[in-house]
Amino acid sequence: MKALALLAPLALIAAAWEGSVALFAISPFYLPPLRDVLGAIGANWQAYQAAFLITLLEAVVGFVAGGLVGVGSGIVFAHAPRLKQMVLPIFIVSQTVPVIAFGAIIVLWFGNTLAAKAAIAFYLTFFPVTVNTLAGMEAVDPRQIALLRSFGAGRRALLWKLLLPSALPRIFTALRLSAGLALAGAIVGEWFGAVQGVGALLLAAMFNEQIIALWAAIILAAAVGGALFALVAVIEARLLFWREEL
Amino acid sequence: MHRRTLLATPLAVLAAPRIGQAQALTPVTLRLKWLPQAQFAGFYLAVERGYYREAGLDLSISPGGPNLLTENLVASGSEQFGLSGGTDSVFSAREKGLPITCIGVAHQVTPFVFVAKADGPVKTLEDFRGKKVTAWFTGAHLVLFGMLASRNIPRDALSISPQQVSITPFINGDTDVCAATWYNELNTIKARIGGADKLKLFVAEDYGITVPRDTVIVNEAFAAANPNAVTAFLRASIRGWKAAKAEPAAALEAVMKIVPTLDRAHQIAMLPEVLRLMEAGAAAQQGLFVIDPTAIKKAHDFFVEQQVLKAPIDLATAFRSSFLEAIPLADRLA
Repeated sequence: MKALALLAPLALIAAAWEGSVALFAISPFYLPPLRDVLGAIGANWQAYQAAFLITLLEAVVGFVAGGLVGVGSGIVFAHAPRLKQMVLPIFIVSQTVPVIAFGAIIVLWFGNTLAAKAAIAFYLTFFPVTVNTLAGMEAVDPRQIALLRSFGAGRRALLWKLLLPSALPRIFTALRLSAGLALAGAIVGEWFGAVQGVGALLLAAMFNEQIIALWAAIILAAAVGGALFALVAVIEARLLFWREEL
Repeated sequence: MHRRTLLATPLAVLAAPRIGQAQALTPVTLRLKWLPQAQFAGFYLAVERGYYREAGLDLSISPGGPNLLTENLVASGSEQFGLSGGTDSVFSAREKGLPITCIGVAHQVTPFVFVAKADGPVKTLEDFRGKKVTAWFTGAHLVLFGMLASRNIPRDALSISPQQVSITPFINGDTDVCAATWYNELNTIKARIGGADKLKLFVAEDYGITVPRDTVIVNEAFAAANPNAVTAFLRASIRGWKAAKAEPAAALEAVMKIVPTLDRAHQIAMLPEVLRLMEAGAAAQQGLFVIDPTAIKKAHDFFVEQQVLKAPIDLATAFRSSFLEAIPLADRLA
């Protein structure tokens, strides 16, 4: 049932794509028929599969690191308001610098490694998670905290039994947002001289004006994004079991 | 036997030949000037066939791209070798004091031309007046300025704007003249417009200008410490290019293996043009990658004249033929 709900809109988009190309006689230079794009992916299946896995791995490494650091910083900031006042503004400023500005530097530091792409994915990921963890923990009803305290709960018990579970829905909202950002980070990282990955395919297609290959890379990027999103959804369903509908 | 030794023994046996190899091979990288394509086929073929390993180098190739400056990466030492923009970018890197040296020149003549449609209004350079012309502002625009100056046409007599990667504006007729490399854009334009006879080409050399490009550069400190590795790199690269000339199909496969999604027909057409540029000029007599002092000096003086370089630079330190000349001439001839 769930699969059907997912496939139906995809089929609709595919039909609209093919239909409009045929109906309006769109030049393949602007929008090639979907079957040509899928055919190109099929013809180079191994290359596309490898690119999918590499970019997914880069994004996942950066995403997991960003998620952990984000939740960790959120917890620390919630407990240390003074530290929050000092460090959070730096976090905010760091996010105002467009990531593309860092790309060349990151390549100088890390070279053509997985770490370079993961670092950029991390950079885009940790901030939304930090802010939402913090907001989620600060939104807890003080009366609930007072109640648990009256039962003799210490800091640790409060964190694990009340603050974190209450913040989880917000944390997962941030993680879902960050899944897309991590993918963008990995792709941007690949734009600085990577040999493999979705970003490298995108770049090659763009600059060689291979429109079919360009659309193929876009579909591939969507597939990586979908996989990341699904990963978050699965973890969310496990951890947030008390929420009915997700 | 102690448990740790028991574990270590098979590992040591496995590791032994590798250690031997690692000691013999110097790990180096080559940063290209652009995304992988047949323009670099000789280097890829040399890696695939193990020519660098036989020369004592463990070489890995990193592609360039729109966001990278090869000179910077080689100067910082994050790469030892680079195939950089051209004599023009070597001049400006040296002017900025970047510690790089040019050790070879791949394209002996200007690798790009200016193109107009044969049935269009532009028949001669004089016809550029009042027209829309695009050129890459990474050096091609200067060549255009020089061509115009040679015929006393003022720059403001026409509209010159930066050229983007796409040649579609030229195909669609939005611009009258655009720049095109012999090996890449020109082939694309020919394919999309229906043949070479539908085009009028303006070649820089016809106007007395030559800007050799695709320069092989090395990090200065690395070259000082490892002169033999530099010569070994050139020797293996020349072997790769000679093999690419002898077996273009194998060279093409070496490139397609790196990026299987490339347009094969386009890459097939690219290789012979690249080889032609590499064998042009002084290379015909003095071999591949030769640094022709006359051509370099001429290009240098041109850029000084155009006030791109504020002052003349020391060409003897910027361009060093000694690494190349350590290889017998017979081995360098394509």
